[in-house]
Amino acid sequence: MRLNVYALCLALLVGATSVLSGCNKGGGAGGKRIGVTLLTREHVFYKDLEAGLKEAADKAGYQLIVTSGDMDLAKQQSQIDNFIVQKVDAIILCPADSKGIAPAIEKANAANIPVFTADIAAQGGQVVAHVASDNLSGGRLAAEYIAKAIGGQGDVGIIGQQEVQSGLDRETGFKEEMKKYPGIKVAAVLNGGGVRDKALKAAEDMLQGNPNLKGIFGINDDSALGALSAAESGKRNDLVIVGYDAIPEAVKAIQRGSALKADVAQQPRDLGAKTIEAISKHFAGQPVEKSIAVPVKIVDASSLK
Amino acid sequence: MNETVREREVAPRPRYLQWQTVAEYVIVVAIVLESIFFAVYAPQFLSLPNLINIALSIAITGILAVGMTAVILTGGIDLSVGSVAALAGIVAAMVAGSSAPGAVALAALAALGVGLAVGVFNGVMVARFRVPPFVVTLAMLTICRGLAFVVTDGRSISDLPPGFALFGREVFLSVPVPVWLMLLVFAAGWFVLKRMTFGRYVYAVGGNREAAFLAGVNIKGVTLLVYVLNGLLVGLAGLVLASRLGAGVPNAGNQYELDVIAAVVVGGTSLNGGRGSVIATLWGAVFIGVLNNGLNLANVDPYTQRIALGVVILLAVLADQLNKTRGQVIA
Repeated sequence: MRLNVYALCLALLVGATSVLSGCNKGGGAGGKRIGVTLLTREHVFYKDLEAGLKEAADKAGYQLIVTSGDMDLAKQQSQIDNFIVQKVDAIILCPADSKGIAPAIEKANAANIPVFTADIAAQGGQVVAHVASDNLSGGRLAAEYIAKAIGGQGDVGIIGQQEVQSGLDRETGFKEEMKKYPGIKVAAVLNGGGVRDKALKAAEDMLQGNPNLKGIFGINDDSALGALSAAESGKRNDLVIVGYDAIPEAVKAIQRGSALKADVAQQPRDLGAKTIEAISKHFAGQPVEKSIAVPVKIVDASSLK
Repeated sequence: MNETVREREVAPRPRYLQWQTVAEYVIVVAIVLESIFFAVYAPQFLSLPNLINIALSIAITGILAVGMTAVILTGGIDLSVGSVAALAGIVAAMVAGSSAPGAVALAALAALGVGLAVGVFNGVMVARFRVPPFVVTLAMLTICRGLAFVVTDGRSISDLPPGFALFGREVFLSVPVPVWLMLLVFAAGWFVLKRMTFGRYVYAVGGNREAAFLAGVNIKGVTLLVYVLNGLLVGLAGLVLASRLGAGVPNAGNQYELDVIAAVVVGGTSLNGGRGSVIATLWGAVFIGVLNNGLNLANVDPYTQRIALGVVILLAVLADQLNKTRGQVIA
């Protein structure tokens, strides 16, 4: 009974996240105007994305009106409303909530303003193009790195996060690439929930269950850092761990020569540039691919120097 | 008055048929069965390193579950344990990384201090102001998680001195320190609840509040002390968590309250209060730990694992209900 009430309360709690609306002003004359609503401005990733957008927009002679949704759906909705009122020529959106943003996109559609999504896709409404990192190829790069590092022989494991699409894509890419190496077996795939403490437990079980384990791919850096904690307390510095996102803490771990050997790094600047490129094409009346994948790269101690 | 309480506890049935004994007996059989099952499916399962690994994997849940058992025995609940443990771990990591003299010892005290402070707050709200524990601790769940992010700006606190590994990564007599700590906490919990007068009061407060009150038990005091002691254990768990991770991580410990409550409930402690024991909780934690580990070792896909865990919790509570209603003339 108590658990029932608990579940109900948690559901209510999640549903009733705080609502604050913001209002950002932009505008001015000259060239095409593009309204941007980022997910946040607090992450390095989005700062770089913004820089990439600005650079490309300057070159193309577009004027950007950049706002941040601060991970708040309501705020983002009102920002899009503002863009519609300002009659911008295009909207770039990193949705705070893929489904929840759909009505706002539909409003823009009704106002005949083309919408582009970057990094995070929307579900619903008409989006001209979605530009995001190529997670499949990121998984492949990680697989290739581990395969080479362990000499094409042995068991490897994945600390995944199967409830998130990007996590699943990375996992799939990794598994596909590993098929090229007959000497390597993906012996274990566990869910680390994308958070460090769960990844740590999963990695410990993985190490116990697979004594021949030589490499672990963490589908994000928290998964990889959790695996690293497991490797360090298990005195398994011989493992080859590869993470994803190259957050500062992971970069530090790579540089100090830990078992975390490499990281797949997204290229947010390129992501910004590709988004503007897609918009230019659309303005010129050329066909635009619905889904544009931006390449990722792998970094290790030598490339991080 | 002490005798009054004890009389309520001693059922007319022989010891081996008492509710608690039966519950513990069933869960131990279940653990043996699932172990045999996994030993067949995963050859590594019964190896000594893996058994130690299982113990390590339930160490934090176990420490938290002792406090939770006491809280639930009073008829309360604590939903904030995961968030508070994360916050305590972060504060400990901050202190440990400060390069002050004796930083590691101060870090341990800081973690306990955070847990204690939240425990006092929860306890006062529940005991003095009679706010339902569910509401108080739900609020603390979100407040402390929010604080964890505010204090760290969403980033982990890493680069800790090597000494900080003591609580989570060091091994003493081939057994990891967190496991020793967990065993110590269970022993202390058992002693306090079963051998001390205070422990009998805890049962009395949850079992029959009015009778306890008429018997002169200081209900407010007992309740407050339970939340305070629970807070200390949460602080300890946070310290171990941060040490295990080698960092203070703001999103760590998420939904631990569910794991912990599951361990307590699967062990057979009643959510209605007054019935259950710390030893039963230990079995509950072992049962879930073995289940998680075995499913991982047998490479069962993560979706199926969740279903398995849910079914087990359901069965445990169902067994508890059947057990309880069978002995009653009026349902």
